[in-house]
Amino acid sequence: MLGEMELLDEDARLMMRYRDGDPDAFLALYARHKGPLYRYLLRQVRNAGAAADLFQEVWSRLVATRSRYEARAKFATYLFQIAHNCTIDFFRRDLKMRHTARSDDADSAPEPEVPEHQRPDRVAEFVEQQSALLAALGGLPQEQREAFLLHEETGLTIEEIARVTDVGLETAKSRLRYAIRKLKKSLLPVPIPEAQPLRTNYLKGTS
Amino acid sequence: MHLPDDLDDYLRGDSALSRQYKKESAPTPPHALDRRVLGRSREVQGTARRLTPCLAPLALAASVLLSVALVLAIVFGPQAAKRVEDAPRLVRVAAQAGTPAVASLDRRLQLYSSDPPRARAAAAWLADIAALRRAGRNRDADAEFRRFRDAYPGYSATELVIRP
Repeated sequence: MLGEMELLDEDARLMMRYRDGDPDAFLALYARHKGPLYRYLLRQVRNAGAAADLFQEVWSRLVATRSRYEARAKFATYLFQIAHNCTIDFFRRDLKMRHTARSDDADSAPEPEVPEHQRPDRVAEFVEQQSALLAALGGLPQEQREAFLLHEETGLTIEEIARVTDVGLETAKSRLRYAIRKLKKSLLPVPIPEAQPLRTNYLKGTS
Repeated sequence: MHLPDDLDDYLRGDSALSRQYKKESAPTPPHALDRRVLGRSREVQGTARRLTPCLAPLALAASVLLSVALVLAIVFGPQAAKRVEDAPRLVRVAAQAGTPAVASLDRRLQLYSSDPPRARAAAAWLADIAALRRAGRNRDADAEFRRFRDAYPGYSATELVIRP
């Protein structure tokens, strides 16, 4: 019969070693997951500063809760569940700040406070750096974008995506289906409009 | 007829969409961010290590204190409860059932007959046997004494006093 440790993925084993006090295990986990996690956050919130803050927050939560870790599922689902929660908190805070800024504006406040990453120049700067696919990804509803990123960045299955995002299997499936349909369209070549014959009749006069 | 689903194709892997996504730039966290996260982790780990040697003697002292308190509580603590437990069964039963403490010997014997061996304190049992003798009920006293000897075969302190 296989022991518990044999059934775990390599990352879960590392996390258990870290939980039990091995600092090198954390280095290995960090090296493996820092890229996918950073891209997930960056492409979710679409701002480098906010992504960096969230990135730190996710790892801090992982460190703080390490003693309670139990390897019940793939480690990536554990890590990205924390990331999902941090991102949801971020969007809530962001929405609240925007509401506040809007109501301040309605009260004709002189300088409404807008979050750094919402400033038009910052948004434009970010959009310019993107390809058509990434621009289309950024245009997706947040839930669909998240489902796509979780699959692409971590290889999570539909069931695991459902668990991370705390929704039903069919909902997760539906989100991913819509996401890929929309993103596929961005891969199609942009049709070049046919040359129109010069309309000269208006030069000829009407008489 | 089942039409192939976009999702099924995509999940099979190696779709054009996945290939294109992988071709995109793959930003990684800046080094400064790496340093902050790893530094924080080391800091927490260091704090845990520093605390452990301090906590070990503290935990030992707490264990010793707890053990001593427990021993003292067992030896000196529940004196009142101990006295109640040591009281003759008649008194305890009377207190529980509202029976007068001066119940007849017959009533006592009736109560005792349901006792399992050694359920009664030896001293209380012997006192009852002595009371039976004083009342001239030697037959009952002998029967009780036999039961007593079965329950306490090594008891000899007062048997001469109450022996038939």
